[in-house]
Amino acid sequence: MSKRKYLVLFRNQPTGGQGGPSPEQMQQMFAAYKAWMEKFKDDILDMGDKLKSDGRVVSASGVADGPFVEAKEVVGGYMIVSVETYDRAVEVVRACPAVHAPGALLEIREMAGAKM
Amino acid sequence: MSAPSQPRGPGGPASQPGLVEHYFRHEYGRLVAILVRRVGLPHLEAVEDAVQGALLAALTAWANSIPDNPSAWLYRVAQNHLVGVLRKDQGHQRVLDGAADQDAHDEEEPVSAAFAGEVRDELLRMLFVCCDETIPEESRLVLALKTLCGFSTGEIAFRLFTTEANVYKRLARARDRLRQCEVDTQTPPLESLRSRLPSVHAVIYLLFNEGYLSRHAEHAIRAELCEEAIRLGTLLASHPVGAAPPTFALLALMHLHAARLASRQDATGGLLLLEEQDRSLWNAEHLHQGATWLARAAHGDVFTRFHAEAGIAAEHCFAPSFADTRWNEIAELYAMLERIDPSPIHTLNRAVAVAQGKGPQAGLAVLDGVVPPAWLDGHYLWDAVLADLHHRAGNAATAERHRDQALAAAPSTAVRQLLHRRLTRPTR
Repeated sequence: MSKRKYLVLFRNQPTGGQGGPSPEQMQQMFAAYKAWMEKFKDDILDMGDKLKSDGRVVSASGVADGPFVEAKEVVGGYMIVSVETYDRAVEVVRACPAVHAPGALLEIREMAGAKM
Repeated sequence: MSAPSQPRGPGGPASQPGLVEHYFRHEYGRLVAILVRRVGLPHLEAVEDAVQGALLAALTAWANSIPDNPSAWLYRVAQNHLVGVLRKDQGHQRVLDGAADQDAHDEEEPVSAAFAGEVRDELLRMLFVCCDETIPEESRLVLALKTLCGFSTGEIAFRLFTTEANVYKRLARARDRLRQCEVDTQTPPLESLRSRLPSVHAVIYLLFNEGYLSRHAEHAIRAELCEEAIRLGTLLASHPVGAAPPTFALLALMHLHAARLASRQDATGGLLLLEEQDRSLWNAEHLHQGATWLARAAHGDVFTRFHAEAGIAAEHCFAPSFADTRWNEIAELYAMLERIDPSPIHTLNRAVAVAQGKGPQAGLAVLDGVVPPAWLDGHYLWDAVLADLHHRAGNAATAERHRDQALAAAPSTAVRQLLHRRLTRPTR
């Protein structure tokens, strides 16, 4: 089987203030929130006991673990592994000491068209 | 390959001061969650003892040199300890066999089990186990603090302003309950625990409030509980079982409140009113996080109390100044909160917002006819708000009566000083 390239991102909780939204952007985010809330102002239809999963995390393109995908997230580092399968990539990553970092999250993505 | 081979590994607890602080406490939570998964909930106490033992052993063993993979080292020591304990109990032959199997590939297992995604799932599973609705709510909080956050009973007692005996009692109640209802050696799969999500939200919210509203003078102690709540909330949001707008709203409200945490106190530990706070002290990182989660919370057709509370916190955080605060918007959000979760405390808060926006008479009108329940009648907040509103409305005698009651009922010196400053100033 031919080898594919997988990009492994080491994600950490953001610790610094850099790269976050600007005050202007935060105002816009808040404005969007307010706009969304409008529809509940007169009549709150659902009070939230029935929670839905939005199932956004895993996709067929090979994202093993994709939480925290906001722009402001700090990527702690990355490596590229070249293996046959996605499962094998997961195995390789499991052996990496970085997975022990408190709060560490790893995201694996197959690189588009990158067979070798 | 252009990255370092070990980007941000644990780096050894002694080599990176930033990681040392909570490394052991968080490692405790991770190990307990993983091992409980292996041997089953009925052995929770044995697991906790084993993990405690491993951490103690590390203190001595790591004094001179730290192992290459500290987490794997801890896992191995804790597991060996656990197997030793369970071996003494012949009744757990099956458990023993299972653990012995794992011993066979001991070299690989710890690394595999520590894979971020799996650890996250084990921690989350443990969180959902702690939030079993049949466990009394106060016991859920204590169980989460013990098993997930790695606090000792003494530390929990210190943080929750209660006695160690009381913490122990609450823990025992929770463990008894777990022994009764989780006879399976396996903890249930996460998906089957989805119905407990509201309880998980409630525990995280409670944990945050314990930190935020704590009577502790020391800022660090309070901030710590808030950080733990945010950590668990972030963990929850990272998994499909919890990644939903109510979780995002909860995270938004926690970050937005946390942003203002440090500015609520002056240099001497006294409390500051919102209008006295230095807005430049508000934590930018928390504001960023708050805004980001807020944006993600604005989806779907479910509006929770967390959405309303996040909206209120955002109004304060994103107002350019105290004078420019949109009080009418805040009053409306409190009205929404009252519809979701009717409580006189929300009505009281709405009265304050209305008074800021439309004057003291309008604020008093909100409270007209509201009869406070026993727990609020005689509570300093109720009298403090009435004293403030009557004072500003020019009803001197009524204001004075409520002020005296509020000062007498104030729970701490810091609060009493705050009230005194607020309630005795000249009317504008």
